[in-house]
Amino acid sequence: MAIMPNDFWSGWIIVITVTSLLGLAWLVLSIYLLRSGDDQLHEEPVWDENLQEGNTPAPLWWFWLILAMMVFSVVYLMLYPGLGSFQGAFQWSQGGQLAERQASYNAEFEPLEQQIVSSSYEALGSNELAMNTAAGIFEEHCSACHGIDARGQAGLFPSLSDGVWQWGGMPAQIEQSIRNGRNAAMVGWLSALGGEGQLQNVAEFVLSMSDGIDAAHPGKRYYDRFCIACHGPNGDGNPVLGAPRLNDDVWLYGDEIGSVRTTIIEGRMGQMPAFAETLDDQQIKLLTAWLLARNSAD
Amino acid sequence: MNALKLHRILEQNTGLLIFGILFISSIGGLVQILPSLNDETLSTPTMNTRVYDAVELTGRDIYIREGCHVCHSQQIRPLVAEVERYGPYSRSGEFVYDRPFLWGSKRTGPDLHRIGGKYSDQWHETHLLNPRAVVPESIMPAYPWLSERPASAAGDIQRKMQVLQSMGHPYSPEDINNAEAALQGLTEMEALIRYLQMLGTSFDASQADAPMEGM
Repeated sequence: MAIMPNDFWSGWIIVITVTSLLGLAWLVLSIYLLRSGDDQLHEEPVWDENLQEGNTPAPLWWFWLILAMMVFSVVYLMLYPGLGSFQGAFQWSQGGQLAERQASYNAEFEPLEQQIVSSSYEALGSNELAMNTAAGIFEEHCSACHGIDARGQAGLFPSLSDGVWQWGGMPAQIEQSIRNGRNAAMVGWLSALGGEGQLQNVAEFVLSMSDGIDAAHPGKRYYDRFCIACHGPNGDGNPVLGAPRLNDDVWLYGDEIGSVRTTIIEGRMGQMPAFAETLDDQQIKLLTAWLLARNSAD
Repeated sequence: MNALKLHRILEQNTGLLIFGILFISSIGGLVQILPSLNDETLSTPTMNTRVYDAVELTGRDIYIREGCHVCHSQQIRPLVAEVERYGPYSRSGEFVYDRPFLWGSKRTGPDLHRIGGKYSDQWHETHLLNPRAVVPESIMPAYPWLSERPASAAGDIQRKMQVLQSMGHPYSPEDINNAEAALQGLTEMEALIRYLQMLGTSFDASQADAPMEGM
């Protein structure tokens, strides 16, 4: 139900509205019906020889105009809400109008949505219309963080075009990331490592992992003690925890020693918000297909 | 009586004329405004709508101070295009603890009513420090000083909460006593982000019964 005034205020509105409409009708009609009457120019003082105040009614077109407006308001109040809690013959409401338009909007796109549901990711990926739509969804909802070209940005938000999936690149995993979001939880390790020397060693070791594991590296023993649980013995990462691969060339927060050090000192709490309430299943599937197509093309 | 005689009486009696003008021009207010003031459904919180806590309230004041509302509205209209883009349209009951409300009517930037939870805290921080870092085509100004100023510098939080309490916002004595402690160690940036992240989150679409509810 639309919000409507209660009985007292409903009556209040109706009485005042109807009374003022009747009053206005009386005012206008009585002026025009009596316009040929006696008191148009009498009894008024005369200024400057011939200036006289009078009561000449406004022109006739004005009379018809105001009459038409009164008729319009009566008709309007019969059809639409306005007269207290009377809903009007059309039972119109703002929310109802939205529901109606939403229904016709949904009906318009239902065949397309069915097509999305029944298509494979590959089929969607090669469907130009579907991909254009997905690019639009990406631009509206994802590009603020991942960049309009989906290559990540600000040294904070991951590229979605490099074929590297921190949380797993299977369609179901990507959909899960979009639908429920992801919360990475890497804590700071400085105090556990015990000091600046160890920190620098681990940071250098982590950076060197891209070129193969150097078993003699002084940072390795700290890596094996603290980092291994999430990032794995060879730095392969763990998509279940969102722990990134460390033995490739992709660096989420930058490939300089400084940013690796910052990561180890402060930890990283990368957060992907959940879009389950913003996007519907078809939109999420389209986005996933778009991302998969993008990554296989590159 | 005929209208011309009434006219003559009013015209020749200033006091009556003034009264007549006031009476006629008050009719619109009597019909439109007075019933709304007494309409409880307009002052009843929608679902999970709650008062702003000390940090959110401070963030909201920073939002007002920096003029965010000049370019960003907080009102999603019941139109398909807006609902598709921003989420469920705004309900009147969601704003009962907004004094003043920040609906706005000018969108230089996007509407922010359902911004809560859409981006990560980290994104908001990066974006407020330099909007171009995450939205290259953005024309929004940067607000770097927010991360340098303590949230407690934004004003006397306890006094603010007491004033709101006197207007019927249900703050408990503990809420007010703990307000300053809650702001300790936070920057204005963090307070503003806390406010942004709770915007529009009190509405639960699954609990909205009929689509006609609200507005």
